[in-house]
Amino acid sequence: MREITYLEAVREAMTQEMERDSRVFLIGEDIGEYGGAFQVTYGMLEKFGPERILDTPITELALTGAAVGAGLIGMRPIAEIMFMDFTTLASEQLVNQAAKLRFMFGGQSTVPMVLRTPAGSGTGAAEHHSQSFENWFVHVPGLKVVMPSTPYDAKGLLVSSIRDDNPVVFIEHKLLYKTKGEVPEELYEIPLGKADIKREGKDLTIVATAIMVQKSLEAAEELAQEGIDVEVVDPRSLRPLDTETIITSIKKTGKVLIVHEAVKTGGFGGELAGVIAESEAFGYLEAPIIRLAGREVPIPYNRNLERAAVPQVEDIVEKARQLATLKV
Amino acid sequence: MGLKKEQAADYLLQMYQIRAFEEQAEKSYMAGKIHGTMHLSIGQEASAVGAISTLNESDYIIGHHRGHGLTIAKGADLDLMMAEFYGKENGYCRGRGGSMHIADVKGGNLGANGVVGGGIPMAVGIGIGLKMEAENKVLLAFFGDGAASTGAFHESMILAVLFQVPVVFICENNQYAMSFAAEDWTTSQKIAAHGELYGLASTSTDGNDLIKVRDAVGEAVDLARKGGGPSLVVNDTYRWRGHSKSDRNRYRTNEEIQEWKDKDPIRRFQKYCLDEKLLTKKEAEEIKEQAYADIEAARVFAESSPEPKVETLEEGVYAP
Amino acid sequence: MATEMIMPKVDMDQETGTVVEWLKTEGQQVKEGETILVIETDKIAIDVESPGTGTLAGISAHPGDVIPIGTVIAYILEEGEELPEAPAEPPPLPEPVEEQAPGVKDEVSATPVARKMAASHDLDLSALTPTGKGGKVTKEDVQSALDSRKKPQPDGKDGKVVASPAARRKARLKGVDLRQVRGTGPGGRIQAIDIENFQPSSGLPAPSPARGGEKVPMVGMRRTIAERLTESYQSIPHIQFTASADMTNFNQARQDYNDLAELRGDGKVSVTALMIKIVAMTLAEHPWLNSSLLEEEILLHEEINIGLAVALEEGLIVPVINQANQKGIRKIAEESTDLITRAREGALTNPDVKGATFTISNLGPFGVEQFNAIINPPEVGILAIGATRPEVVPVEKDAIAIRPIMRFTLSADHRVVDGAVAARFIADLKAKLENPIFMNY
Repeated sequence: MREITYLEAVREAMTQEMERDSRVFLIGEDIGEYGGAFQVTYGMLEKFGPERILDTPITELALTGAAVGAGLIGMRPIAEIMFMDFTTLASEQLVNQAAKLRFMFGGQSTVPMVLRTPAGSGTGAAEHHSQSFENWFVHVPGLKVVMPSTPYDAKGLLVSSIRDDNPVVFIEHKLLYKTKGEVPEELYEIPLGKADIKREGKDLTIVATAIMVQKSLEAAEELAQEGIDVEVVDPRSLRPLDTETIITSIKKTGKVLIVHEAVKTGGFGGELAGVIAESEAFGYLEAPIIRLAGREVPIPYNRNLERAAVPQVEDIVEKARQLATLKV
Repeated sequence: MGLKKEQAADYLLQMYQIRAFEEQAEKSYMAGKIHGTMHLSIGQEASAVGAISTLNESDYIIGHHRGHGLTIAKGADLDLMMAEFYGKENGYCRGRGGSMHIADVKGGNLGANGVVGGGIPMAVGIGIGLKMEAENKVLLAFFGDGAASTGAFHESMILAVLFQVPVVFICENNQYAMSFAAEDWTTSQKIAAHGELYGLASTSTDGNDLIKVRDAVGEAVDLARKGGGPSLVVNDTYRWRGHSKSDRNRYRTNEEIQEWKDKDPIRRFQKYCLDEKLLTKKEAEEIKEQAYADIEAARVFAESSPEPKVETLEEGVYAP
Repeated sequence: MATEMIMPKVDMDQETGTVVEWLKTEGQQVKEGETILVIETDKIAIDVESPGTGTLAGISAHPGDVIPIGTVIAYILEEGEELPEAPAEPPPLPEPVEEQAPGVKDEVSATPVARKMAASHDLDLSALTPTGKGGKVTKEDVQSALDSRKKPQPDGKDGKVVASPAARRKARLKGVDLRQVRGTGPGGRIQAIDIENFQPSSGLPAPSPARGGEKVPMVGMRRTIAERLTESYQSIPHIQFTASADMTNFNQARQDYNDLAELRGDGKVSVTALMIKIVAMTLAEHPWLNSSLLEEEILLHEEINIGLAVALEEGLIVPVINQANQKGIRKIAEESTDLITRAREGALTNPDVKGATFTISNLGPFGVEQFNAIINPPEVGILAIGATRPEVVPVEKDAIAIRPIMRFTLSADHRVVDGAVAARFIADLKAKLENPIFMNY
């Protein structure tokens, strides 16, 4: 099977869906001729024209609201917010409107939109261009939140998100854009709310999101040399969450390490830890649920500081080792 | 633009229905039968009826939190509307939305909104969608002077013009945001000038004159249907009651309120109909009676409707 | 008075019983004679009946616990009765051979149970305050000393036990009291492996927490085998004698028997069955190998009862063919087939596994050429049968031939059996194996 990059997979999902369904269109800043800040939409203006690739000035709130409205009337818009940091400007329309219209109107309407946004640190873009807010949106009933970690997952999940009749926040980690993987050429769906076991193991469960999946897999290879067999579970969807796969894994291993880039306090790890502690898995825990996450700090500019602000492979190895050998 | 007799009767009935509905809602609220709060539009009937009278049934409106009049003018079923106000299961929104979030999607009413300016960006998107659909439909997007200061409004004007959406933005300037007087920062003319600057065909008018409103909006609707892009119509009007039920009216004087009551849009339109011999006095009175009777029937319907079951609490958050 | 329920003794040489499963729980009503408990002794599961009618209460023995016989493990309370304050003392056990030599006066007075418990926990009896009759140290005295012995209680100032959720769950399922478990986790936290390794009254050191692999509890049959064989190996001086037999005639004889069996519609005669007969007939002429060493004397058994080692998944069991020297081959074949089948189904009863005077273990079918078995006390000999394989052997006049050759090894208790005695037995056995017709001589 051919290999393409995560970025190409995202573009392919959108392109193929737009070809298949005339109701799908894009709206965002600099997505037309510029091809998108990360070149995700490169070539799409030529293919689909300005009637379906809507380039806008800097109007996060209005463009997000426009996506909501278009969805209300039966279109299937994909809005792009250039950096997740700027979803702060869009959140009124996302949280108060998109998430709530269906419920508020007693089921009379749907908002089948996707809001795509690049997130995460590691590019030296510092405080205003490096954040991960997924948990803010996980917190809102009515939204769905997806965070794929591989090109294969990205394409399948984006297709499903576009076809989903609910507002979906689709988060792409910037450092994943260049990663490669096998991706089928045809259209395919990966259901939302289904986790993926990226690596099977029996000594310890790591639940990781986005780029932390990659780092955890690297850590797992290292730990395998020491005879520690790590299972890496990638939730893929944060809301809805596949609790069954996670619980089954923890029942098997008795130990769980949650790894994510976003700041630890108020991060998704806390939510997940609560889910685990309240579940059947509790009776099988051999050690406390451990979270490894971003430090309590905005992302700094200096490269070393930036690196130190989020979990790295060596951090995962150390924490996992401690957990596997019951030092915690 | 001359009205036909049926039209005159229809519009007068609607205005009375709005008035009667608002009064009944108020009474029920004060009797403790409706909970939460409500934002009454008594005094703004001409703006609602006049604007919406220009639409076809297949056209759309999107509104704001003071939208009872809009809802009725767009042809809502009064029973279902009152039931929603009472929070009942068979209300338009299954009791989940209430006064501030009422919608009648099948009837082309894409909903009221609890966030000031919340509907304006959506209006842009609805316009984009209507344009893509290419069925010559238009949207009336209502908001107030309070929303005219929001970022949402200004961003949306830019995008509306950029995408040339078939939307008529209607600003119902009732002189106050919540308590902040519009005249402290703007006037209807100024708001219209904003629109002009952004590139919309814009005008302001006496919002309590149904015919004037109808004419102004009608022109804008025609323009939109022809592909001429978005317009802004600013209706100068007034709300007789406070912003919400908890408003003590400390920010305005009784004289002012009385001044505007003297410009009662219903009385003025009724006079117009009588003057133009479109209706007789008797017919007008019958219409008024009819309206109040309709509202009374709605009240009875609402009060006897079932409450939603608590077990169904989490239904309807997601589409399947 | 509350009716006591004790760990019953069902075997002559039984010292302890292992609780397998309570069929009724604390607080439930039970009837006299109703089966309410399953225990395991040596290798057999036994149903235990309620000694009275009333409410089952004060259960103090839980699944997995190894309890000395005679120990009170529960009470049956009638209406209005309450649990007695201090449980009654179990009756004294017969002194095991390894006990202190009689006449040593500085011995602490203690019940045998207390003594055993203290020994296995390295407790100095003389340091305990005796509360029993006549100033004896009782089991309760030892228990409270053990309880107060500081187990690492991290932060547990209120005396709470620190254990992982998994450990708690396991402890609940196995009926283990967390307070008795020593934790190997950080700060002394009890982990699931600590529950798995927990042995209430054993002196075995807890093995280091292993990573990976299936953990099988050391209970029941496995435990018994371990204890038995350790004792045997450590206390009996084993001598081993190996010889080989040409099985040509044996095979022919068996074939003849099987032809007859087929004609008559009888079951097949296995190699083992014929072997049992031949061994039994041989033992008849060598009574010293069919004996037991008692305290002061050697008992030459009247009966020749051959124990047949049968491999099971969970270990080994040895059903017995009684008076094998007096039974016909058909009968022996029938019995051995039946016993082996029931052994594999776990349906052997106590009488089936009692009374052996000599044991045969046949690993020939597995291809083992030769091996040395460990004697099952109180027997003095065991015969290990190896595989029969075609081998090149010299025959008359410097010629060679290929014959089916089987090696067999006798392990004998040298305290009872001298080399010559064993050798004569072996020679005789060999002769009979090579010419089965000799067994009737």
